[in-house]
Amino acid sequence: MTRTISFTLNGEQVAAEIKPHHNLVEVLQREFNLMGARESCGQGMCGCCTVLVNGAAVSGCLYLAAFVDGAEVRTVESLADARTQALSPVQEAFIEAGAFQCGYCTPGFLLMATQLLEAYPDPDEEQIRHYLSGNLCRCAAYPEIIAAVKLAARRRKANSVG
Amino acid sequence: MTPFELVEPASLGEAIALLDPEDAGVRPIAGGTALMLMMKAGVFRPTRLVSLRKLARLNARIAATSDGALTIGAMTPLALVERSPEVARIVPVIPRAMRRLSNIRVRNVATIGGNLAHGDPHMDLPPLLIALNAEVKVVGANGAQAAERMIAVEALFTGYFETVLAKNELIAELRIPPQGRSRAAYLKVTTGSAEDWPALGVAVALESEGSAVKSARVVVSAATEKATRLKGVERLLAGATVDEKMFARAGDAAAEEAECMTDVRGSAAYKRELTRVYVGRALRQALNSDGATR
Amino acid sequence: MATSSGQVGTPKDAKVGGAKVGSQIGRSLPRLEGRDKVTGRAEYTHTMRLPGMLYAKIFRSTVAHGRIKSIDTSAAKRVPGVYRIITAEDIRTVIPAPYYGPAFHDQPILAVDKVHFVGEPVAVALAADPHVAEEAAQLIVAEYEELPAVFDEVEAAANNTLVHEELKPAGTFADLKHLKGRKGTNVALDFKLRRGDVDKAFAAAAHVFEHTFHTQKVLHLALEPFASIADWNERGVTIYSGSQGPSFVRTEIARLLGWPENRVRIKVPYLGGGFGAKLYIKMEALATALSMIVRRPVKVALTMEEQFYTITRHPSTFVIKTGVDASGRITARKCEVYWNGGAYADVGPRVTQKSGFTASGPYDIDNVWVDSYALYTNLPPAGALRGFGIPQLVWAYESHTDMIARALKLDPLEFRRKNLLREGRPQATGQIVRDAKLDAVLERVAERLNWGKPLARGNGALRRGRGIAVAIKAVISPTTSVANLTIAADGSTTLYCGTVDMGQGSDTAMAQIAGEVLDVPAESVRIVPRDTDVTPYDMGTLGSRSLFHMGHAVRLAAEEAREKIKAMAREVGEPEGSNIPLPDLFKKKFGMQAGNIVGTGTYKPDYVPPDPATGLTDKVTPFWMCAASGAEVEVDTETGHVRITRLITAVDCGRPVNPKIVETQISGAVLMQLGFTMFEKMHIDAGQVTNASLADYKIPAILDVPQAMENETVDSHLSTGPFGAKGVGETATFCVSPAIANAIEDACGVRLTALPLTPEAVFRALRAQANKPLADDA
Repeated sequence: MTRTISFTLNGEQVAAEIKPHHNLVEVLQREFNLMGARESCGQGMCGCCTVLVNGAAVSGCLYLAAFVDGAEVRTVESLADARTQALSPVQEAFIEAGAFQCGYCTPGFLLMATQLLEAYPDPDEEQIRHYLSGNLCRCAAYPEIIAAVKLAARRRKANSVG
Repeated sequence: MTPFELVEPASLGEAIALLDPEDAGVRPIAGGTALMLMMKAGVFRPTRLVSLRKLARLNARIAATSDGALTIGAMTPLALVERSPEVARIVPVIPRAMRRLSNIRVRNVATIGGNLAHGDPHMDLPPLLIALNAEVKVVGANGAQAAERMIAVEALFTGYFETVLAKNELIAELRIPPQGRSRAAYLKVTTGSAEDWPALGVAVALESEGSAVKSARVVVSAATEKATRLKGVERLLAGATVDEKMFARAGDAAAEEAECMTDVRGSAAYKRELTRVYVGRALRQALNSDGATR
Repeated sequence: MATSSGQVGTPKDAKVGGAKVGSQIGRSLPRLEGRDKVTGRAEYTHTMRLPGMLYAKIFRSTVAHGRIKSIDTSAAKRVPGVYRIITAEDIRTVIPAPYYGPAFHDQPILAVDKVHFVGEPVAVALAADPHVAEEAAQLIVAEYEELPAVFDEVEAAANNTLVHEELKPAGTFADLKHLKGRKGTNVALDFKLRRGDVDKAFAAAAHVFEHTFHTQKVLHLALEPFASIADWNERGVTIYSGSQGPSFVRTEIARLLGWPENRVRIKVPYLGGGFGAKLYIKMEALATALSMIVRRPVKVALTMEEQFYTITRHPSTFVIKTGVDASGRITARKCEVYWNGGAYADVGPRVTQKSGFTASGPYDIDNVWVDSYALYTNLPPAGALRGFGIPQLVWAYESHTDMIARALKLDPLEFRRKNLLREGRPQATGQIVRDAKLDAVLERVAERLNWGKPLARGNGALRRGRGIAVAIKAVISPTTSVANLTIAADGSTTLYCGTVDMGQGSDTAMAQIAGEVLDVPAESVRIVPRDTDVTPYDMGTLGSRSLFHMGHAVRLAAEEAREKIKAMAREVGEPEGSNIPLPDLFKKKFGMQAGNIVGTGTYKPDYVPPDPATGLTDKVTPFWMCAASGAEVEVDTETGHVRITRLITAVDCGRPVNPKIVETQISGAVLMQLGFTMFEKMHIDAGQVTNASLADYKIPAILDVPQAMENETVDSHLSTGPFGAKGVGETATFCVSPAIANAIEDACGVRLTALPLTPEAVFRALRAQANKPLADDA
């Protein structure tokens, strides 16, 4: 029942041997050693397993790996510049604003915040809260996460102007 | 999860042939968000999943007809419905309700067809679609022939996670009829965190003339074993004068009629009280909203 | 900017006299590990793999109390790819006495003969493919002879239904010795405090009030579920574990194996949250036993659901009685507290005793009586959860205090002011209170709430109100921390300490303390990952103890290193006050870039154990934690929904070492307790948790954050603290629940005495008040 899937992973064309019951997170971890997307609640509630598939955020723990055949997949590992390792404005802002404690949920929040700023470059607090309402942080760094998104929005704006 | 076979047919006929009307271990999979939960919990152990992703006829598409009806392909992800300009123009109550429906990742993957076929009474769209008098086109096998039938969303649900769909039937399309001057509202009531599943969902759609209600559809969900029309309340509303007294009477009638159930989100007695209050609030919101189906 | 991207500062400027880099204490330095966490590279045990590793999947009990009649593993063994099925019988071939626990040796690695709660591990399936292990575990079948079970803590105290036939205290603690071998009881500890004469004082009091309060069973719910990997061979065992207390794990595993500690190595990757759950032994003993049996590395990683069967917060019942004189002074308080410890004691007896010291609250009361009972029941075990019992106690005594003030028509703030424990006065245990800013935290919250000025009361169905609460905690004592610090010949500093940074920012704070002493930027100090082969002893990362205890050990280690630098300078002939750069000093001494300076520090505060008869001692704690919270709420009286419009918290954490991290600790603690206050609850039916998932057990998300949340630290300096600091991890949890309940009563006149404050609970109280009680369902 093993099958081969091929897809684009963080900009690179890749292939993997998988079985139908494997989910995307376990395949990313086992086959590609990408540990940023993690299973926590296992029910799509917490967002720790967030992965972008064809530009849309999905819960990797509820997504059959077979379904990314031919798709474009991005993980938190793609946010920093591949060559220079420079962090993205969102990553920088999360560090500066203290927007995490244990860090387990952070990759999910970073990907969601990045998506949010692509959809709404200048979000107000309500938009931020609604967009991130499906990601959980047990350390409850929520006020700092909101501050980080606002900071990242300002940085992105400054960067695009400068 | 335990191993299973995954097939990805390219035609509808093939898909229906791969489904087995007798085998509970064979099921179609669309977005899979709800099915994966059942599989991970071990409550569903498939032998074969039939993916609907490659079926052009179920494709993600949203179209408006000239008379103001909407058709939405079954495989349309909820996020596309939420963002569709046509949907926003014709039935703005839908994107409004979807804002608090699960979370963005689920909405990106879950499909409108799967959302209905799952029969989960806690979903937010089914009660609203019932209030909007929507129907689904269902395809299945009639001997060797493919067969189609239309089913009102209202008639789709037979119980807790149960629908009238045969195991080898698929929802192909959702149709929302023209809403005319009807106005609608959906209220999701949570008793845990803000992003919890609803303890109660209330959807209403009504037409009024001057200060009188012409017709109304009132639906409750989540608190009941399935999304359910409250026909007694609807009869009470038809012809009634719109005022605070009427809202209160409708609420009382709804509390009487709705068969609420106890779960971790609240006792049946409490959910009846929520129904009493929120049916009135939903009616007030619908009537205070401006224009058709807003 | 340089620090924000995680760039490491340079040690090159390190000099003998210090580089005068400016104070490291009080800097809002971003977390040192930030880059690892935002790039997804931070490694957690739950995602770790070792070559040749097997995955373990646990088969769990479905009955709350029963004798195991049989375990049928035949179907499980037939699953293709299964490596082996393990039961307690197999465990005993490698560990003959497979019982562990910090207070009692009561918890078996896998259930032996009996099961004591629904969800208890009974057997394990091992396979190289985790899906295969899971499938096999689901095919194991056990038969039980069901025994009577007890779930309620007060019923358990009657000792009619017994959870254990005989008590087995670990022998670690003096106050448990009298329980050794005791039969016929569920009481795992009975702490008593007797001060003055409460009966006489009640008789003389103008008013006496008695109320009973309850708290529910809630879960830590760390987003990284429990995980341990053990790799055993005859020479030693290495355990990778998300543990808050690697030193304890090492000691306990060594005891179970009958080995010296130096053959047991615990390595701790990053922790995806802990909150008190990941203390003592969790998956480590099982992983070790399995690895011994199969002689391969074995990983035990739980799912979210399984966390509900592992460790929880204690539910409690608190009967509190207070006497007040005609002037409004509290003259006596009697506290009976029942702690529902579940089937295994874990650290419950310590929660029972340590919280018992302050059960009478932050008030100056001459006559105090405390009975605090740790009880066994047939529920999943309970341990420490961000507060060591204090949030449960404060919930009761600050609700009670408000109820008294209202009954006597006294202003709740004035009533508290009048009775507050002041500097220099004896606390209930007899210890004189020093450096405890109870008045300051209370006054700051009152000021921010505009207490005394009228509040808009709302209209129609929406009613508004406000409430306040204040609390004290005695930090746990006596505990020990050890730190080592090395300076390399290039002047760079490496710190070895066992405090586990599970998100609270301790690594950053410890680097700041070392940097302060050595006058180097904190960013330049490297903190070695926790590894018991390398990092010295620490009692555990718990109870807000680390910044004080380990902070002192780090300070002492750095001071010793600093003195050794000075001595080296003298030795090579440098003049007094020389500012020679360290690399030059090392070269001068060793002729090349060579050598090390090693400093070490050990800290253990003074402690006098409480008198067994009276619970009194004048040295119960090295410092007091103080907090106050205020809430403004809006109650929808038609539905019972409560909206928290403002939530204010002030804490005394001494001098903040890193103000930004302190701020996040306060808001994180407030929001966690907000969940425990408003909706979190493990629903249990005949011992079975019915909402063991994040779908049905909700925790606060971003939409639950109050629109106005204000947090602050009051001006404070702990004279005995490292640079004036106290711990702060738990402090802000204390007062949230009663502040909100007090605000609800202020808004709509109903008093809730059980958590959580759900809309239904508020609604039912409103209906009861209106004399139209809502019927229970049949």
